[in-house]
Amino acid sequence: MQWFDALVQGILLGGMYAQYALGMALMFGVMRIVNISHGDLVILLSLIGISMATAWGLAPVSVLIILVPLAVLMGWLLQKLVLNRVVGSDPLPSLIATFGLSIALQNLMLQIWSANSRSLPGHGIESQSIEIAGIYVGVLPLIVLAVATGLTWGLDLVLKHTRFGRALRAASADVEAASMTGINPRAVYALATAVAVGILGFAAVFQSLRSTVAPADGPAQLIYAFEAVIIGGMGAVWGAFLGSMVLGIAQAIGFRIDPGFGVLAGHLVFLFVLATRPQGLFGKATT
Amino acid sequence: MSAVTYAATDLPGVQVQRQTSSGRIAMTLALAGIVAVAAMPWWASTGTIRSILILCCYIAVAQMWNLLAGYAGLVSVGQQAFMGAAGYALFVMAQTFGINPFLAVFLSLLVPAVLAVPLYLLLHRLDGPYFSIGTWVVAEVFRLVCSNLPIVNAGAGMSLRVMKDYSAFERNVAMSLLCAFMLLLTVGGSYWLLRSRYGLALIAMRDNPVAAASQGVNVAKLRFLIYVASAVGCGLAGAIYFMAQLRITPGSAFDPMWANVAIFIVMVGGIGSIEGVLIGALIFFIADRWFGAYGATYFVVLGLMTLLVALYARTGIWGLISKRWDAPWFPIRRKLVDPNRP
Repeated sequence: MQWFDALVQGILLGGMYAQYALGMALMFGVMRIVNISHGDLVILLSLIGISMATAWGLAPVSVLIILVPLAVLMGWLLQKLVLNRVVGSDPLPSLIATFGLSIALQNLMLQIWSANSRSLPGHGIESQSIEIAGIYVGVLPLIVLAVATGLTWGLDLVLKHTRFGRALRAASADVEAASMTGINPRAVYALATAVAVGILGFAAVFQSLRSTVAPADGPAQLIYAFEAVIIGGMGAVWGAFLGSMVLGIAQAIGFRIDPGFGVLAGHLVFLFVLATRPQGLFGKATT
Repeated sequence: MSAVTYAATDLPGVQVQRQTSSGRIAMTLALAGIVAVAAMPWWASTGTIRSILILCCYIAVAQMWNLLAGYAGLVSVGQQAFMGAAGYALFVMAQTFGINPFLAVFLSLLVPAVLAVPLYLLLHRLDGPYFSIGTWVVAEVFRLVCSNLPIVNAGAGMSLRVMKDYSAFERNVAMSLLCAFMLLLTVGGSYWLLRSRYGLALIAMRDNPVAAASQGVNVAKLRFLIYVASAVGCGLAGAIYFMAQLRITPGSAFDPMWANVAIFIVMVGGIGSIEGVLIGALIFFIADRWFGAYGATYFVVLGLMTLLVALYARTGIWGLISKRWDAPWFPIRRKLVDPNRP
């Protein structure tokens, strides 16, 4: 029963990680860029949300409604001002640029909000739970998982069936061929990053409701997102979702074995997958 | 067979010029600098020796990162894994097993060398930017393993108490000699490597890995060797740094700060050149002394500077200088000179 409980908690935790991993998978799939400040953006959005909630007494839903458009705007600006200048076949410029941004953001947040851990007041929702099949499951983690599933499903549909999705897939398959057919890659990239960071708006609200956030927490979120993407299989949206579940389960079981072992268990599963199945659990092998 | 002799007789009578006057001056100054570092106990106070030791570690780590990112195209943000691994190896050998610490510094380099081999085989499967985050995960794994491992005293860390058997002067002499050796190995070694025939391959690889491979450069093997060499160089810097600190904890041993330091130094100084590393290290060292007290604001500025260099001045300060004046400190070019036509 204890292990079944760990499994369920792991899947719920995976719902949180999926919200970080989706944007990373999207950005890498389209531009072959990894935004090192990915995790720091979650923390920045969380802290903005918490400050708004405390200043104006907003409920989490109102914070979400404000934060997601703000995140979309941030993503769009990030692409326009920074990433469009460094996108290309050489990974170095984009890595260095976002690395510098990450250091600057972390320390800027440290100055504005200090090193203290904060969380978003959820007015009781964070402590509610329901009993399913003999184990208690938090209502909030269930909502997180449901939202993550919805986001993954929605993103998958957008990629498969809309004009924007087709442009995006074309740009990711072959940028030059895509621009010959009348697609403006930079505009597509800007929208892709706007969507990727927009999803982080959801992640920010749920992360700060579920637990606490502090300015130095960003890198850990970046690493979890990355591990989920690689475990699941590169590029694919559902791969990132399932990889998040595997990572969540590995961490939850690790924490049951020993509290000092939880995060490490996730890393070890990641390294194991990399050693045995480098295309990811759900990725297709490239020959 | 006859084609070879035909080609040989047809060679023009040119000479290959590999050294310049600026290079000779710089070489003299560099050697004088290394001698001055080795002789620190006779001219510097213990405090100065500590500062210069840190500067030497900056140069060493930055040059190792430069070899990786600037020539091999491997952008690592986790070289602190090897610094910490060698540091811990030194502490375990010297403190737990009673090996002479000055011998243990060199023995500890085996640990990063041995670890780097399987790690590279794992990490090179990751594509471009994912490789970088992978190196970071490895550093985190090392930190978490050390935090749970009883032989390294878990999260509480270790102290190098055996150093009290040596007088302050003896320790200063040892630290100075180690610093000089580290500079010779990382900077001198890189210079030697770049001037050798491997250097030609490395520079070809830096400019275009696909074209280099088509010219017969074994890019995969060269990347692997550079990764292992860089791990050993970072390990040496780590062992020396933590020997001077006398204390190591999982948090300090695998501090991502070292990735910041290396990236800032190399990017601002100028990637793909030894000159850039020296300029960048000096700038960072001075900035750290002057503005370090400003804490977070200082790091905001450092981060923004790294961002701006990546956006607008990718060749760094040395790139701007060398565009203006053709006076390399460490010339690696081969210039053909016809002695008959002065």
